[in-house]
Amino acid sequence: MSLSYNSIEPNVIDDEMLQKAIEEQRPEDIVKLAESEGIDFRDVTELQLSFRNILQIDNLWQFESLTKLQLDNNVIEKIEALESLVHLVWLDLSFNNIEVIEGLDTLVKLQDLSLYNNRISKIEHMDTLQELQIFSIGKNNLTALEDVVYLRRFKKLRTLNLTGNPFCEEEQYVLFVVAHIPDLVYLDFKLVSDTTRELAVSKYQYLIDPLELEEAQALAQLEEKLAKQKELEYHKRAFVEYLNGSFLFDSLYAEDTEAAKLAYLPGVDDLLQAYRKDFVSVCENLFNYGLKEYEKREAEVSEFYEGLHEALTANQREGRKIILDFENKIKERLDEIHHATSYNIAESKRVEYNEDILQLSETLMTLEMQTVDQLEELIKDFEKNIAAIASTFMENVKGMMAQCRDLENRHHEKLLEISINTLEKSIKNELDEDLPDDIRGLLGDKTTLVNTVNTSHNVHLLKIDMRECDILSNTYRWQASVTGKAFQNEIDRNRSRVKEIFQYIDNLQEQLDNNLQEQLENIELLEPPE
Amino acid sequence: MEVLEENVEEEQREEELMKALEISDELHNIETKPSVDQVCVPSDVSDFDWNSIDISQLPSSYKTNSPREKKLLRIADHYLQQYTHLCPDRKPLFLYPVNECGIKKFVSTTVRPTLLPYTELYHWDGCASFVCDYLTMEPLKSPLIPPSSLYSPTTILKYQRGNCFDFSVLLCSMLVGAGYDAYCVNGYATHDICSLDETLEVCPLLRKPQEVAKEIMKKSNKYRVKSSPDLQSKFELQQEAKKKAETEATHKNKERGEEVMEVEKSTHDPLNGLRVHAWVLVLSGKREVPEPFFINPFTGNSHSTMDEHFLGIESVWNHKNYWVNMQDCRNGCKDLIFDLGDTVRWEIMLSETDKPLQVLLDAEEENELFDRNMDDIVSDQEEEEEDTSFAMPPSWVAPIQISPREFETRCSQGKKVILYKKAKLEKWAPYLNRNGLVKRLTVYADLHFHIYKSMEPETERVMEFYNEARVDGLQKRAENASEIREYFVGRDDFKYFQHTEFGKRGKKISVAGTRTDMNSRPIVQMKECFHRNLEKPADEDVAERVFLIMEEMIHLTYHLKDKYITASKKDFFKPTEKYRKQSEIMTPEMCITYQAGSSVKDKKLLPLYNLLQELTEEEKQLKQQVRQSEAEVLNILKIRENEEADIKLTVSIYNTERNEKTKEQYEATKNAMEDEFTVHEEQDLDYLEPFLIQIGHPEKMTKGQVLRLRDDCLTDFKNRLIAKANIIQARFEKEVEELKKKNQQFQENQNQLSREEEAVFLADYSETMFRIHILALRLNREKQTAPQKYLALEEKLRKDPRLAVHLSYP
Repeated sequence: MSLSYNSIEPNVIDDEMLQKAIEEQRPEDIVKLAESEGIDFRDVTELQLSFRNILQIDNLWQFESLTKLQLDNNVIEKIEALESLVHLVWLDLSFNNIEVIEGLDTLVKLQDLSLYNNRISKIEHMDTLQELQIFSIGKNNLTALEDVVYLRRFKKLRTLNLTGNPFCEEEQYVLFVVAHIPDLVYLDFKLVSDTTRELAVSKYQYLIDPLELEEAQALAQLEEKLAKQKELEYHKRAFVEYLNGSFLFDSLYAEDTEAAKLAYLPGVDDLLQAYRKDFVSVCENLFNYGLKEYEKREAEVSEFYEGLHEALTANQREGRKIILDFENKIKERLDEIHHATSYNIAESKRVEYNEDILQLSETLMTLEMQTVDQLEELIKDFEKNIAAIASTFMENVKGMMAQCRDLENRHHEKLLEISINTLEKSIKNELDEDLPDDIRGLLGDKTTLVNTVNTSHNVHLLKIDMRECDILSNTYRWQASVTGKAFQNEIDRNRSRVKEIFQYIDNLQEQLDNNLQEQLENIELLEPPE
Repeated sequence: MEVLEENVEEEQREEELMKALEISDELHNIETKPSVDQVCVPSDVSDFDWNSIDISQLPSSYKTNSPREKKLLRIADHYLQQYTHLCPDRKPLFLYPVNECGIKKFVSTTVRPTLLPYTELYHWDGCASFVCDYLTMEPLKSPLIPPSSLYSPTTILKYQRGNCFDFSVLLCSMLVGAGYDAYCVNGYATHDICSLDETLEVCPLLRKPQEVAKEIMKKSNKYRVKSSPDLQSKFELQQEAKKKAETEATHKNKERGEEVMEVEKSTHDPLNGLRVHAWVLVLSGKREVPEPFFINPFTGNSHSTMDEHFLGIESVWNHKNYWVNMQDCRNGCKDLIFDLGDTVRWEIMLSETDKPLQVLLDAEEENELFDRNMDDIVSDQEEEEEDTSFAMPPSWVAPIQISPREFETRCSQGKKVILYKKAKLEKWAPYLNRNGLVKRLTVYADLHFHIYKSMEPETERVMEFYNEARVDGLQKRAENASEIREYFVGRDDFKYFQHTEFGKRGKKISVAGTRTDMNSRPIVQMKECFHRNLEKPADEDVAERVFLIMEEMIHLTYHLKDKYITASKKDFFKPTEKYRKQSEIMTPEMCITYQAGSSVKDKKLLPLYNLLQELTEEEKQLKQQVRQSEAEVLNILKIRENEEADIKLTVSIYNTERNEKTKEQYEATKNAMEDEFTVHEEQDLDYLEPFLIQIGHPEKMTKGQVLRLRDDCLTDFKNRLIAKANIIQARFEKEVEELKKKNQQFQENQNQLSREEEAVFLADYSETMFRIHILALRLNREKQTAPQKYLALEEKLRKDPRLAVHLSYP
């Protein structure tokens, strides 16, 4: 047996094999039908490739809608080329030669995974498979019982198969597994009894408790992080992130080495404190204003979309009514054609019908033109309002930023004054305090000192300017995108509607032709042409 | 100017009155002839003759007037004179009509305030509905003048019929008894009110609860599309509308004939405003009545005092006094002010009697006012004084009584029929109908046609179900001869409606094999409608599915995609024999597809084939389901029929009169108790036994033995009685002694005792007193019964079979 196996050459999955596999799975009655149509790999949902001596997985990327894939009983050594099968729910890789679990990260919908009878020695690389319910990794090379702890992360895991691994020999194997995966229902094809579970819990409480604590902490941290992130997102959308506090002020001094030196000058510390306080309060004002403006913008946009939706619904209703009326009418017409006894009658009916269709087309197009006009006006209004809101916001932001700049200027002047005073004192040797050497160096020369102070000032102004620029450009971008989106949506809508109308009309025409053809044939049968 | 105008008005009214009287005369003439216009006299009034009633049983107060009543009548007479002098234009007052015995009685004394012992009658609505149910309405002899007689409420209750005045007096008596500030009103009302014609009213049971106007303040969105300019010719539209209206009018004229006539009847009443009516006025103040309202005694309904059906008030009265309305009633009762203390608006008759509640404060002032008024007119000062100080004599009417059975039976003969607009309400007394029916409301679809709904299957009917309790979520099933419509709620497959059409049952059409049951109607078409399932894309979510069985076709219509106006469609033609032979299971011709918004035609046949297979399967299931629901209908009808045929009423266990079971039980326990009692007596001790033992149970006793035995027995009994009496006596004395001691102790220590101790003593004291009292009673009884007991024993001994031989007296 093994000889015959070995004699067959190992395969790589190719189109031919796939074609054959698909055909084999089809029920007989539709084989013929399918043959004439050909096979589109994209439509296949289930694929069985067992016992084909496959060595390497390949060429599966077309099977976009595949939900079930069986690759068991092959000689696969590496899990690969499955990335595009994102809808996969069931994957069977049992009886292969796989050594490492890998390449499954994109299969997030996977519920049932079988790796039975392989050569795997570690459970790993499965973090994304949160939907996993059934997992079989029996008859592998797992030796460390602690590996099982990894499976705790699968909250939906109910069935687990681990038989035939080296660690199963260990005395406490069952209890250990059950203790660590509390929601497990079946282990190694057997129902986990309540007594086992109790026993396991009591035995491994000391191991589980810290684990749980750790997990809870991690979860809490994650949640906190998420909440913070969410808030930041919110602030970012309002364009005022990091303005609720001293972030901006701190950033002014973050890269300013000169300022750090100047801070040693007598009296500068107090000055800095006062400056900081004022600056932060302006920032906070700006922040609150930004949030308020954000709400206002959102309200405006949502109001617009509400109005738009209302208009569209009304339009849809109207169009629907026209079409239903028409459909009721044409039923009769079709009947008439159907009952026409001679070519002439049928022909005249056809003309009438055609006219009806044309008229419908006209009506629908008129309605559409009207809607386009209405919506255009609507969107123009919207554009105007958005522009107004954006410009008000930008003006106010500019105003507040100017306040910041004023503060900075004032601070700068005072700082300069202190510096020069200190310099003068220093020249007169009236300084009592001990100053660091850097400062003493600065105090040696007035130009250097003034230059230092000016540099610091310029750095600060630059930072403020950058922040302002950020807000303004963000606002502008928002304005452009919101209006652009509205226009684009309308264009798309108009195109799809026009397309829809044309298609519908074509369809009607076709239907009419078919009917007529049929009827004419009938008429000919009844009274053959002379 | 104003005065002048009023005069003109008066004249007009007079003229109207004259005319009206003429008309009424005419009416009278007409009424005497049989089967003419019965506007005034409903046909169902039987000719009950009030003259034939038995007055011999009535109490004397009915037949005579007491001195006070006579005086009252004199005052009333005087009052009437003044009134006619003051207001010569107004109709004579309704003051002292004759009662059933032909005696003049003042109307206020006919009101007999009574509170009846039924909780329902404690509230005005209960009273009103009782009165209107219990009495049968009789129209007034003349619709334009008050009746000449007013019978006592007791007589009215006895014969269960009366006119509006009788109704009002009875209702007013009950309401005053229940504590309401109620008054009888003599006035004018519309024809509908006077003649108890409710055919224009919507039945109260059918009245829909007034929908609370949802105040969703829809803030006007500034983004609102402008409506497209209307380019249609207004003139053309007008013409069209005109034409349409004309045709409609001609078309509908016939239909609406009756309705129009009815409406006209109410609007063109020649006697409008002159029809006399009596009703009840309830004023605010007592029993938490927030504002005055009227009760129409015929219907038991309450009306606002602004109600336009009430056209005017002449006078009001209760058991204490009589008021004449001096306000203008040109606008009906809308503008009337019901402040009876206001002497300008309401002329009072007996001023010194109890004032209505709201006037108590300014009573003084008012008296003066009244006096001044009277001064101008009345010359006789003395009599006026007499007037004011006179109190209303008590009512001459015997107490009103209603037995529980009468109260329960309610309507005369336990049945009442009320006709409403397009509806008929029938009421029965409980337990009158064998099937337990107490109320039946017949609703007519319109004024002409009645749909008779029978229990026959395959006829028109609607069944409603509790969809929560059903697996299939069925809420309603409507049927008629050729179709079934089923409505569903909350199904997992989002189906909400299913419509099945049946063909005619025919033997020829039924091809063998198409139907399993030869008896059932062939299904022509099945249609299902589904709600949107948001989990699927719209153009894969079926909205409507039609199975045309006869044509072998299946139509699928999908839901609308967002913003699309055409729905995707698929029409399947089931494979015919032709195709089957060709062994082609699916061809492009078998399915016509329209995919909204996508030009790529789905050319793949495989999915279509699968879909068709699926649909065929579902069609089969659906057919089966239809058959099942038919069977279910049959089953339900059968069950209903059985239920209707065999109705068992459950009677409350407290209703001892009707609940046979409890009655039996009660009697059984009663009998059992009696039995026990007798058994107990029989088991009396053999009083001779101890004495017989003493002499050793001889077979036969000599006379001496017997006599001694008897004497022994009697002496022993006597001793026992005496001993018993002594024991009681001893105990009595002991208690008395103890009491004395305690009392003495208390007297001595009284000052030192705390309040608690004192309380303890007093409790103890009263307990002792109680014991003494009981002992005294027992001793007394013992003394009284001892001789009787002795005699009884002697008698018993004499009759004892063992002693009888020797003791029987010759």
